[in-house]
Amino acid sequence: MTISPNAVYFDGTSSARNDVSVEAGAAGLRILGAHGRVLDEWSYPELRRMSAPDGMLRLGRSGETLLARLEIRDATLIAAIEERAETLDRGGAAERRLRRKVVGLSLAAAASLIVTAIFGLPILAGRIIPFVPLAVERKLGEAINKEVRSAIDTQHLGAAFSCGNGPGENQGRAALDELVGKLAAAAALPERLQVDAVRRSEPNAMALPGGHIYVYDGLIEKAQTPDELAGVLAHEIGHIAHRDGTRIALQTAGLSFLFGMMLGDFVGGGAVVIAARTVLRSSYSRRVESAADAYSVALMEKAGGDPHALAAILARIVSDKEHGIKILLDHPETRDRIAAIDAVTVAGPTTPLLDATGWNALKQICAPLPAKNATTDGGAAR
Amino acid sequence: MTTADISSTAPSAGAVQFLGKEAAYWRLRIKGAALLVLTLGIYRFWFATDVRRYLWSHTEIGGETLEYTGLATELLGGFLIAIAIVAPLYTAIASTALALETAEAATATIAFLVLVLLGQFALYRARRYRLTRTVFRGVRFDQHGSAWRYACYALLWWTLVMVTLGLAYPWAQATLQRYKMRHTSYGDLPGAFDGSGAALFVRGLPVWLLVVGPILVAFLALGAMVDWDAMNGMMAQGENNPLAVLVGGVGSRAFTVVGAAIGASIAATLLLYPGFQAMLWRWWISGLRFGKVSVTSHLRTAQVYRVYLRFVLYTLLFMVLVTATATLAMYISGAIVGPHRDSALAELAPSAITLGLYVVIALGVSTIYQVVVTFAMWRLGAQSAELSGADILDSVRASGAPSSALGEGLADALGVGGI
Repeated sequence: MTISPNAVYFDGTSSARNDVSVEAGAAGLRILGAHGRVLDEWSYPELRRMSAPDGMLRLGRSGETLLARLEIRDATLIAAIEERAETLDRGGAAERRLRRKVVGLSLAAAASLIVTAIFGLPILAGRIIPFVPLAVERKLGEAINKEVRSAIDTQHLGAAFSCGNGPGENQGRAALDELVGKLAAAAALPERLQVDAVRRSEPNAMALPGGHIYVYDGLIEKAQTPDELAGVLAHEIGHIAHRDGTRIALQTAGLSFLFGMMLGDFVGGGAVVIAARTVLRSSYSRRVESAADAYSVALMEKAGGDPHALAAILARIVSDKEHGIKILLDHPETRDRIAAIDAVTVAGPTTPLLDATGWNALKQICAPLPAKNATTDGGAAR
Repeated sequence: MTTADISSTAPSAGAVQFLGKEAAYWRLRIKGAALLVLTLGIYRFWFATDVRRYLWSHTEIGGETLEYTGLATELLGGFLIAIAIVAPLYTAIASTALALETAEAATATIAFLVLVLLGQFALYRARRYRLTRTVFRGVRFDQHGSAWRYACYALLWWTLVMVTLGLAYPWAQATLQRYKMRHTSYGDLPGAFDGSGAALFVRGLPVWLLVVGPILVAFLALGAMVDWDAMNGMMAQGENNPLAVLVGGVGSRAFTVVGAAIGASIAATLLLYPGFQAMLWRWWISGLRFGKVSVTSHLRTAQVYRVYLRFVLYTLLFMVLVTATATLAMYISGAIVGPHRDSALAELAPSAITLGLYVVIALGVSTIYQVVVTFAMWRLGAQSAELSGADILDSVRASGAPSSALGEGLADALGVGGI
């Protein structure tokens, strides 16, 4: 007897192609080979739809280690099988339902990770920080210091990048030490403070874990009174007292894990990870900056200086950079910070933390570099 | 109609076809990219599975299509296991670097080598996952062989490629392809690779000369320009910055020479890249063997140039569109926040637009690339291939079993590709 083939059958043990005739019976499919020989019988509940090109129904069996396949292009037969096999995913509807669920759950997971990053990580970092020994923090600070120093010393000045060591700078150094000494005595921190004035023209200062503070020459220039500079220094000491450097390192590690590893870099190039980190870091930094401001106000009051001087120098820096977008991104709430500092009432009169002689010397701490060095270094920079 | 009739109307055993439609693939890619953004990338396991299912099931060899049987949940599982391996590894590397700050460079080098090895290991194992999930005529492909050995070979060869400025690339490709194909099988049919490094080298040498040559020539010319005696004299006088002396001594001429060389090299790269890709594809496809089955590629270079030209055009068009939209968005956001210049909204709007713009451009260009280049090359590669000795494909015995998705997960976690 000859049959009319309406499907192709692979038995899973060999790649031989069998043109078969498939009969959709009451309980399952009968697969008939040449001369009507029954090659196999598949019951409806065990049928599974496999991925196939358009217009083809490709069937496999569930729980089968062999990869037996039945490929059907006959539209009437496909309709008949889909009609009878109730568990067979008709037209892929069940798969689409499952997929919608996957998308929903993924969205929920993404939202949960974002919430964790914004609120959970700072809390976690805050809980871990008390258990980080000062020795580890100092080591971390040294490691960061190497990177930071070479990053901000863009002119490759080396040792000459720090002010206060050259001729004519000694008195400035002494004045800075006096100012830092007063603040350190009032702060009474376990860390030894090491303040470095460096040759950079931006009005900026930064604190590293372990007690290292960089003050840019540009900030010293911008300060009109010793208390203004002291206010900024006290703010940086606040970062050290609150161990914000370690906090940021912990948070950055956590963010790298969440966004770099768990979520996967779906855009490529790591830029989304960096962008997400930058955005979230600035959200952390608002809280951290206002806490350091409050610390500065308290420390200045304790040391006998003017706590409001910090607000004055911040206002001057902001007004100079009114149109610069960068400072706004770095410190989005500078105006709010100034208002908060100004709102604190100060009891009694204050005295400047340095006298006029000391302040004048401090203003000169970064003397112009000797001409010979300047030309060679200029050549290297070019 | 008899069985004999059917067989005679079936396509010849050696014909390879690609049945995929570009419009359908665009839809698949765009939908996937949108879901990737919304789920911050978590959807990638399902996206990758959909893409593979589509490409596999529309690739037809001798009238029968391939089938991808992998599941997204397997990829997710592999990724979670990989995280369990990679996260402690990263932690160990970071804490070692912190503890041994004096041996910073050595630690960094060792860590880099470990990660490169692990990355190559992951790529080999990911290939195994994909092969064991590839079914053709009810029989699966398989890959065995040590992934660590492959990783060591890959590390050595890629080092050699870098040291020789790319001259070793043909032999690196040939060796690694041979290793991969020798350990690949379709059922009981063993794979092999018959491409030779020397043949690729001869064909690729003109490309290398035009791309790397200008830079080499520029450096030789630079060496001739420098007054070495004067330089040695200055070094002897204790000048500690030889680069500054070199640049100071040669002056702006050096920049002209090096700049022109780099310009020529970039121009050559842009112009020759599609041609090189065509050469590489032809060489690779024509080297594939399964038992007595051999493959010949008739891929034409002009076809590949058309693919890349189309990519450039689509990308330009897309950038124009994005720029126009972004300008409009900036204008509208400016109008909305205009009266409240000091609010947090005014500060956040530009950075939010920038971030959004970045994501749209990166994903958009990658989607265009995937459709216009990867999809087109898959189609061209398949349709230009011709199998000989394909009769044997009727009598291959099944063997092998599915492998774990650990390699895929590792490749994903390490960011070396794969998914």
